[in-house]
Amino acid sequence: MNNGDILMGVNLSKKYSNLEVVKDVSLNVKEGEFVSLVGKSGCGKTTLLSLLSGLEKPTKGQVTLNSKDITGATEEELALFRREYVGFIFQSFNLIPTLSAWENVALPLFPIKMSNDQRRKRAIELLEQMEMGPRIEHLPAALSGGEKQRVAIARALANHPKIVFADEPTGNLDSATGDAIMAILSELHKKQGMTMLMVTHEPELAKTADRVIRMQDGEVMK
Amino acid sequence: MNLNYVVKELYYQRRRTIISVVGLSVGIALFIILNALSLAYREAARAPLKEIGADITVQRPGNVPQELTGAVFPCSAVTIRQEEITKIEKIPGVIGIGKAVLVWVFDPHQAWIVLGIERENSIGPAILRAFVTEGRFLENGKSEALIEAGYAQQFGIKVGSNIAVAGRSFPVVGLVDASRAPKIAVANLYLPLKDAQSIAVSSKPLQSVSPFAPGDVNLLFIKAEQEKIMPVAAALKNILGAKAVIATPESFLKLLGNLFALSDKFTLAASLIAMLIAILIAFKTMAGNISERAKEIGVMKAVGWTQQNVTMQFLMESVLQCFAAGILGILIAVIVSYGLSFMTVNIPIPWEMSPTPHFLPGGGKQLYKTLQLPVHIPFKLATFALLLSVLIGGFTGALLGRHISKIKPSEVLRHE
Ligand SMILES: Nc1ncnc2c1ncn2[C@@H]1O[C@H](COP(=O)(O)OP(=O)(O)OP(=O)(O)O)[C@@H](O)[C@H]1O
Ligand SMILES: [Mg+2]
Repeated sequence: MNNGDILMGVNLSKKYSNLEVVKDVSLNVKEGEFVSLVGKSGCGKTTLLSLLSGLEKPTKGQVTLNSKDITGATEEELALFRREYVGFIFQSFNLIPTLSAWENVALPLFPIKMSNDQRRKRAIELLEQMEMGPRIEHLPAALSGGEKQRVAIARALANHPKIVFADEPTGNLDSATGDAIMAILSELHKKQGMTMLMVTHEPELAKTADRVIRMQDGEVMK
Repeated sequence: MNLNYVVKELYYQRRRTIISVVGLSVGIALFIILNALSLAYREAARAPLKEIGADITVQRPGNVPQELTGAVFPCSAVTIRQEEITKIEKIPGVIGIGKAVLVWVFDPHQAWIVLGIERENSIGPAILRAFVTEGRFLENGKSEALIEAGYAQQFGIKVGSNIAVAGRSFPVVGLVDASRAPKIAVANLYLPLKDAQSIAVSSKPLQSVSPFAPGDVNLLFIKAEQEKIMPVAAALKNILGAKAVIATPESFLKLLGNLFALSDKFTLAASLIAMLIAILIAFKTMAGNISERAKEIGVMKAVGWTQQNVTMQFLMESVLQCFAAGILGILIAVIVSYGLSFMTVNIPIPWEMSPTPHFLPGGGKQLYKTLQLPVHIPFKLATFALLLSVLIGGFTGALLGRHISKIKPSEVLRHE
C-alpha cells in the first residue's frame, strides 16, 4: 500500500462500444478519507464508481483495492471481494421488496456461513444505529424514502466494509431528508473513520467531504 | 440460499405462484391420469382370463364335419393331444394347467353345448363350483350333470331328473348360473371331463375330422408367471403350431381397441406432451420472474452473492413451486380417477372362446365381460410424478442459471 491509499485507480478507461465514457482516469482514496466525485449528468461519475468498486471491469487500466489488484479478477472473485470489503449505497435504495427491513440489511450476510440469529442480531444492531429500531420488521413499501435509505446504509455496513461507495445517496430525497442522510454519512466518516467515495452532482453536498474530485466529459479535472 | 426469502418471494408474488402451480399441476395430473388409465385398461383386459383362474387360454382351430349330427367339436376348438399337454407343462413360467373338453351334441330333439370339466382345479372351468345355485357340484368318480340355470328353466329340467345326451344318461345334480360365471367356455351342460372325453372318443363324425384319444382335450387354461406370459405364449405356438389361438391379457387389450389399450406409445407420447407443457409453464414463469427481478438480482450480486448463490436461490423457488404443483397434481389425479372408476368397460369375448352354434337361440351373439374400470393410482406412480415435478423444477432452475449470469451487478446503478 502506498502512503495509506486504500483505493487506487490507475489510467482507467471504459468504452461502451465506440463511446469512451471514462478516459484515462487516475484516482486515489486514502484509508479513512471521505471523497466526493462531482460533475454534470452524463459525465461518467457512475461509470467510474462501478470501475473502482469492482462492479464493472475497465477497458484499460488497473484498480487496487485494499492492496489487492482486482483488474484481472473473474466475476465470481469480484463478488467474493465485494462481499468482504465493499459496501454500496444507491440513489434508488434498491431494497428487496419482499424482505423486511432487517432481512434487507442481512442480505449481504445470507451467503456467509453464520446462524440466522447472528445475522438478525447484526442487522438489528445496525438498524438501531440508524434509529430504525422500531421498524425492523417493516417491508420497504411501508417505509418513507429517508427510512429506506437508512435501511440501505445499514445494509452497506453489514459486512464491516473497508470502503463504502455511494451513488447520489440523496438523489431521490427531498432536501431536508437528504440533509439528514448526509449527516448520517458524515458522522459515519467522522466517528467511525469510514472510508467513503460519494458521487453527487450537487456541489453543496460535495463540500461535506474531505476532498472533492471534479469530473468533466469522462476526465478528472486537475 | 435462504429458504425464508424463497417462501416470502413465492408468497409476495402469490398470483403468479398460484397460476404457475395450478398450470403445472394440471400437467402433472394429466401425466398421472394417463398412466393410471393405461394401467386400468391393462388390468381390465386381464379380467376375462382372471375370472377363470388363468392367464392364457389355448385352442386349436380345425374342421367341422359336413353334417352336424351327434357330437362334434366347434371349428374353433379341436383336439389338443396328451403329449402336447405334457410338453406344455414343462414350459418355463407355466405354473399350472386346467383342462376342458367342449363338444356340441346334436341329438334328434335337442342341441347341447357340453363342457367336460375337472372336478378340482383353481385353473379353468372347475371354478364353476362357486357358481352352483341349486343342488351340488360334481362328486368324485360319478357320472353326473350340471345344467346352466337359464337353459334348465327353458327346457324344464330340474335337479334330480335325468337327461339323455349322445346316447348316455346322466342324473342332474345341480344348476349353475352362467350369468355370474366366467364368460369364457360357456356351456349349457357340464359333465365330468372323463364323460365328455368319452363322448368325443366314440363320435364317428368327430373322429373323422379330428382324431381324438381318451387323454386328449380341446381347451387349455394356463396359469403363468406374470412376467413370462409373452414367452410362454410364444412357446405354446411352437408346440401347437402357428394356427393355434392363444388368448392373453395382451390379446384382450387389442380387442378393447381403445387408445390407451392399443399402445403404450400413445400413453408415452401423451404423457410426454403433458410433461412438456408442465416444463414450458415452469420455464416461462421462472424466466418472467427473473427478468422482472433483474434489478434485485443485480443487488444480490452487488452485495456479494456469487452466481451460484443467486442460482441456488432461484432454483429453490422453482423446486418448491414444482413440488407444490406435484402435490396438487396428485390430488387432482386422485379425484379425477375416482370419477373415472365409475366408467364401465365392455370387453368383447371372441366367439371362438365361447362357441355356440349360430342357429341356436342366442348363438352368435357377441358376449361381453362388463366391469367397472379399475382405475387407481399406484403409490409408485404418484411418487414418480412427484419426483418428476421436482426434477422439472430443478431442471428449469438450472437452465435459468444462464439468464441469471447475464444480469450484471452494475444493473443496480441504473435508475429511471
Ligand atoms: N451500459 C452502458 N452502455 C452504454 N452506454 C452507457 C452505459 N452506462 C453508461 N453509459 C453512458 O455513459 C455515459 C456516462 O454515464 P454515467 O451513468 O456514468 O453518467 P453520470 O455522470 O453518472 O450521470 P448522472 O449524473 O446522470 O447519473 C452516458 O452518456 C451514458 O449514456
Ligand atoms: Mg450516475
